[in-house]
Amino acid sequence: MAAINPEFRTELKKYGAFDFNACYNCGNCTAVCSLSTTEDSFPREILRFSTLGLQDDIKSSLKPWLCYYCGECSTHCPQEANPGELMMSLRRWLSAQYDWTKLSGLLYRSLPITIIALLITAIGVLAFGAFENFQLEPIMKFAHQFEMIAIASVFVLILLPNVIRMWWFILKKPGVKVPLSKYFVEIREMVDHMFTQKRALECDKNRFRWFEHFILVIGYLGLLFVTVFLDWFASKNIFIISFGYLLSTIVFVVTFDFVSSRMKKQKEISKFSQPADWLFVIWLFLMGFSAFIVRLFIDTGLLDKNIWLYFFHLIILVQWALIIVPFGKWTHFLYRSFAMYFAKIKA
Amino acid sequence: MNKKIGVYICHCGGNISDYVDVEKVRKSIENDEGVFLVKTTMFACGDANQKEMVDDIRRNELDGVVVASCSPKLHLITFRAVTERAGLNKYNYVHANIREQVSWAHSDDKAGATEKAIHIVKSALAKVRLAESLEPFKIPAKKAVAIIGGGVAGMRAAIELSNMGCPVTLIEREHFIGGRIAQWDVLFTTDQTGKELVTILYNDLISRDNITLFTGAEVISNTGCIGDFKLKIKVTPRFIKENCHKGNLQKAILACPVEVNDEFNFDMTKRKAIYHNFPSEYPHLPAIDPKNCTRCGECEKICESVDLSQKEELIEVQVGSVLMATGFDPYIPAEGEFGFHEFDNLVTLPQFKRMIELNDSKLIFGGKEIRNIAYIYCVGSRQTDGENKYCSRYCCTSAIHAAILTRKKFSNIQNFHFTRGIRTYGKQEVLYAESLKGGDIFLQNYEDDPPVVNQQNKMTVITVNDILTGKREMSVNADLVVLVTGMVPRADNSVGSLFKLPKGRDHFFNEIHMKLRPVETVIDGITICGACQGPKNIMESVNSALSAATKSFSYISKGELEIEPIIAQIDNDQCTWCRVCAEACPFDAIHKEINGTKDIAVINNSVCKGCGMCLPVCPSDAINLIAYSNREIESMIDALAGD
Repeated sequence: MAAINPEFRTELKKYGAFDFNACYNCGNCTAVCSLSTTEDSFPREILRFSTLGLQDDIKSSLKPWLCYYCGECSTHCPQEANPGELMMSLRRWLSAQYDWTKLSGLLYRSLPITIIALLITAIGVLAFGAFENFQLEPIMKFAHQFEMIAIASVFVLILLPNVIRMWWFILKKPGVKVPLSKYFVEIREMVDHMFTQKRALECDKNRFRWFEHFILVIGYLGLLFVTVFLDWFASKNIFIISFGYLLSTIVFVVTFDFVSSRMKKQKEISKFSQPADWLFVIWLFLMGFSAFIVRLFIDTGLLDKNIWLYFFHLIILVQWALIIVPFGKWTHFLYRSFAMYFAKIKA
Repeated sequence: MNKKIGVYICHCGGNISDYVDVEKVRKSIENDEGVFLVKTTMFACGDANQKEMVDDIRRNELDGVVVASCSPKLHLITFRAVTERAGLNKYNYVHANIREQVSWAHSDDKAGATEKAIHIVKSALAKVRLAESLEPFKIPAKKAVAIIGGGVAGMRAAIELSNMGCPVTLIEREHFIGGRIAQWDVLFTTDQTGKELVTILYNDLISRDNITLFTGAEVISNTGCIGDFKLKIKVTPRFIKENCHKGNLQKAILACPVEVNDEFNFDMTKRKAIYHNFPSEYPHLPAIDPKNCTRCGECEKICESVDLSQKEELIEVQVGSVLMATGFDPYIPAEGEFGFHEFDNLVTLPQFKRMIELNDSKLIFGGKEIRNIAYIYCVGSRQTDGENKYCSRYCCTSAIHAAILTRKKFSNIQNFHFTRGIRTYGKQEVLYAESLKGGDIFLQNYEDDPPVVNQQNKMTVITVNDILTGKREMSVNADLVVLVTGMVPRADNSVGSLFKLPKGRDHFFNEIHMKLRPVETVIDGITICGACQGPKNIMESVNSALSAATKSFSYISKGELEIEPIIAQIDNDQCTWCRVCAEACPFDAIHKEINGTKDIAVINNSVCKGCGMCLPVCPSDAINLIAYSNREIESMIDALAGD
């Protein structure tokens, strides 16, 4: 027997959900969804769980991650209950549940705390600059090292434990019995989805966005590789330099389109934006764009006179690495891939 | 007398002619006695054929017409009208049914079907040969209407009849006017209260000279019929003089030592034997309830306006039509139905609606503040086992409206609705949407798997297998359970029996035809409206009230009534008054009268329906049914049984 918990609605609303309780269970959303199947039917079911406050059922469900938000459900909802936006909010709520530090939830729920966190990191970067007497060379060198350390520690301390928690909620706690070999066999599935997001192609309306998203992922991971492992800013190799220009251009051009469509609010997916959504696309844009300009200034010899530009880039980078990647929307990229992996294991 | 008869045999576009050889039928009768012309036609009811029939009748001066086609239920009136248009008395038309009775019934035997069709047409010919022109009876009609029931339907109908210049006698059983709506607070969609509606109607009502209002009044007998109902009304006194001094009356109410359950609040509160339901109630005069008053005289001592010597009165009124608007009773759950009377925190929807009005800032029940409210729907309606198969129409909307009101009026309310599917039809759907958006939770169960109410450790738990969550068992802790009860017919429906009003399977008063004659009853001159006819909301009650008012007025507006001439006749010489005909008559149209030296049966022409029930029971064969005389019927039988 499951007890109904109407309070859950109040909790979910802090993660951006609204009006979902207007649902009168017609099921149009599930009928129009191109990803919903007989075995894994959504979003009506998960919306019903949310209305009734069946938190355990939601926590052990992969369905919010199986949705790629084409928005057809919200378009066709006769009650304007916005099932698509509920699925998005549930992804936020779930990533807050997976996060052992509980910081994700805090940042999702509170804009002031997000701003304070961004300010603290910015001040930290500036303080470090002051400590180094704003000497560009040692700072750039340290920054390059910092990037590697940050990536490694965020992964080991935050992301890995959180993915393990996700596994625990989804497979262990509900007592799903799976042979160990399956974990190895299906790894391919995870990598596939991580790099291609191929499931999004199954959404009828998503093809162009999937393409944008695909080259953005390639651009982003490529840029990460070029700056961290090939040390783009310090490189003298013409191929590496041009490659970096190309990748950073992809990142800021695609994210510019994402930001502007969120501002135009024409598509269902870009109608509703939470601070975490703005933060993600704007910071990614700023990161690509500032990296591009920094390298341009290096190449034109202007950077020494414009140290502020590098500091701007560094602040964005640190905020990205310490806030958005471990506790923000970046994690959705990770959880989605693992969700496909776990789904395959469960099946 | 040899008649000139025209016969038309219809193909019905193949419906008949595919199985009946209509040409053979035509040939078989064309030389029969009196047949002047026989035609077959693709569609007898078609405009072209109707015109042709009119021309044929006029040109050939036909004095009898038969159409062999579909059921008379479909087109008897059509073809009677055709003969009238041609200047022929419509009773010279006879209808032969060769579709429902022949082609459709015998599609497997074409030869047999044709044979049967020939016999049926021949029998119609036999009848039309003997048919006579008839004129409707005319009887005087009293231009006045009695309305029984002073609720929203009765009051609105009274005002409408008054507008039409028709005197009205409005008879209300209670001492106060307004019926059920006086008990309701804010109403959807106007946000007016029921009391405000009563005020509007009452002020209008008393400003009119041609409406006479009786409260505390009951019709106890009726003699007479359409055009001339003679009603006897028993009026119980209020035991309070009119134009009394009201201040003292309020003190008198306080002084009354008798306390009884207040039915106005569905027994949740107490009232005195001298009472009004609420201070601004109409008429603005308390009443003493003689059933509970002990005649102790306490009130008389305080207030000179109290007059315990007032006596019951009997008043007679004569009206041409009676309009019934006696309303409904709320369903009372059976002992133990969802724990009713077993658990202390269960109320019915009407009780809950009174609670919302009676509580101010906090919703208190049984000394406890209420937060979680569970509503169980369809209690007493749509029963699978019980007799009430119908949907009570108003309850989904009313319960959701009450839930929204509760949430707005009191703080921290959470509503849980246990439904069998929500039916907030029409404009009321916006309430459902509002309720959902406001956070009310709806669960749904199948009819054979109702929610279960249980009490453990002072907690009331409702469990249900929610079909919206894959039939998972869900549970809710509720502080209060509201049984959303439907409407049932009045427990005391004696006034219906008085007029011999037929009831439907649901025991509400029955109309003649749900769609086409929705406010008329088979008792001529009596119309029904409002919830006495079946569950209705206020809007629907008023709709039907206006319709019934118009219909009642249309019976009597000319000052005389035309009555179908096909009725029974008594042969005074043959009749010896054995009363069997009177007993057989379903309409009470036969009574005994002295005729010279002996008693005979007399037919009340305005009540007789010509049903013929009295004919076969008469031992002396003294009754004749006009247009269905023995001669006519026997000649038809001969034709049917002939070669």
